[in-house]
Amino acid sequence: MIVSSDKPVVFVVDDDPHIREALDGLIRSLQLNVKTFGTTEEFLNFKRPDTPGCIVLDVRLPGLNGLDFQRDLQKLNIDLPIIFISAHGDVPMSVRAIKAGAIEFLTKPFRHQDLVDAIHVGIERDRCHRQAMATISELQSRFVLLTARERQIMHKVVGGGPNKLIAAELKLSEFTVQVHRSHVMHKMKAKSLVDLVRMADRLQDCAKTG
Amino acid sequence: MSLNFLCRGFLWLCLGKSTIHPAKRGVPARLVVVRWATGTSGMRLQQAAGRTLLLPITTVALAAGIFAVDTITDSEIAFPAFYTAIVLLSVGFCKKTGVVFVGIGCIALTLLSDLLTVNSGVSEAGVINTAISFLAITTTTFLAIKIQSAEIVAVEAQSQLAHVVRVTALGELAATIAHEVSQPLTAAVINGNACLEWLAAHPPNLDEARRAIGLLVKDAHRASHVLGQVRALTKGSISEKGPLDINKTILATVILIDREIQKSQVSLQTQLSDDVPIVDGDRVQLQQVILNLLLNGIEAIKLVAAGPKDLIVSSAKSDSDDVLISVQDSGAGFALADLDRLFSAFYTTKPGGMGMGLAISRTIIENHRGRIWATPNSPRGAVFQFTLPIGQELIA
Repeated sequence: MIVSSDKPVVFVVDDDPHIREALDGLIRSLQLNVKTFGTTEEFLNFKRPDTPGCIVLDVRLPGLNGLDFQRDLQKLNIDLPIIFISAHGDVPMSVRAIKAGAIEFLTKPFRHQDLVDAIHVGIERDRCHRQAMATISELQSRFVLLTARERQIMHKVVGGGPNKLIAAELKLSEFTVQVHRSHVMHKMKAKSLVDLVRMADRLQDCAKTG
Repeated sequence: MSLNFLCRGFLWLCLGKSTIHPAKRGVPARLVVVRWATGTSGMRLQQAAGRTLLLPITTVALAAGIFAVDTITDSEIAFPAFYTAIVLLSVGFCKKTGVVFVGIGCIALTLLSDLLTVNSGVSEAGVINTAISFLAITTTTFLAIKIQSAEIVAVEAQSQLAHVVRVTALGELAATIAHEVSQPLTAAVINGNACLEWLAAHPPNLDEARRAIGLLVKDAHRASHVLGQVRALTKGSISEKGPLDINKTILATVILIDREIQKSQVSLQTQLSDDVPIVDGDRVQLQQVILNLLLNGIEAIKLVAAGPKDLIVSSAKSDSDDVLISVQDSGAGFALADLDRLFSAFYTTKPGGMGMGLAISRTIIENHRGRIWATPNSPRGAVFQFTLPIGQELIA
């Protein structure tokens, strides 16, 4: 299946070729791109396009448990949402999958609507995630342009300090602080002080979560 | 790949059934039937009784011999030590208390022959040797009882194990079949839904819809192929069909439940007709059916606190020239509303039951071109009956 960059793509990993073929047809009928794999290696070797997507993953895979693969993906920083399908799922298995962040755990033969809904939820979640990640990386790229002094000023400004106080603390003239401050606003493309505070919060959250 | 597993699972299950074969079970071949029916099966019963009486008669004769020699010989000769052989032999046909009585009897006989010995000058050696004989008899009796109890425990453990193995094997087989069938069914459902989506599109994509339906049909074929293979396996397992005396099969099965009969204090009658023709069948499978019906009967009787505890197994030539086997109990019986479901798989009234016994029985009987059915017994209980056609070579 040719993957065009604008449409979301669903990755199917299932060792049963008939299930793969059926899911391929179903997902295409939902006007989504689909790419199927018989093994997890095939999936990892595939060069994924930079579009929102999700994985439909069979729990029983040759040589590897789908749940273990979920963990491996997290280690590899591949955070595509996962929908599990299983022929013989039990409660502990599904609890483990959902706890590890899976969208849904469906037992074969599952209701068609459940899978369709889960796929849409997965794609939407990935889209949001991608947008958030894009915003963060944009902010980071702006932030690296700031000089050490400008970063210092930004820190004080978002901390709520008036220019006079900042100038006194840093032993600078109030005018110099004003100049640095306008540079910060310009480089960070912040429209207002509130906007700048929000950006600082995001950068801080991102730094915390790693 | 997984069908290979399926086949192995099934074979294991088939082999498992050999555990009910009496020769392999190590069950003591004691035929204790509480009340034999008079009439049709007299000769057959005498034969059976003859076999079971052989050992006690030999033992009594041997005891008499030892007693005679002991009486003739001097009391200083420790001949009574040979009574240990009597105790050991008695294990073969006596229960625990019986063995104890045999031991006491042997000691009594020793004392008696000492009194009867003509030159009964009480010598020191004589007393010591008699004491040694007593000790030997007592020790042997004690050990014999121990061994007997251990054997009972071992047999029970073995039969429980056999049951567990069968249940486990059946569970695994069912899980495998369920998985094998579930895969193509899942694919079929997905393809059906995909087809609906293609048809609902504007404009409908007929080529894709047609393709999805094509896949769906293939999936359905795959599912039925799996079931076909399972069916072929069950048919293939009747490989040991041959001319069979159903009365012998019934008697061999009755031996298997001997202990169960004693424990539950059920009165078992066998009414076996002499003019039953030879049938064409698999001995082990038919034994499984009879065993299942008898055990069901015993369990039904156990549910009833008071009243007669009768279990009757009979064979006869039916009006339509078939062989008719019936198992009749005075147990709890069944509700008429359940009559339709009795032989369905997974239907059970027992707390730990799997609901497979009667379903498997019906499959076996139908594979033998026979019929199996149930009717209420009067005044209480149930009657399970099945027919088997007469062996082909006998009709010809």
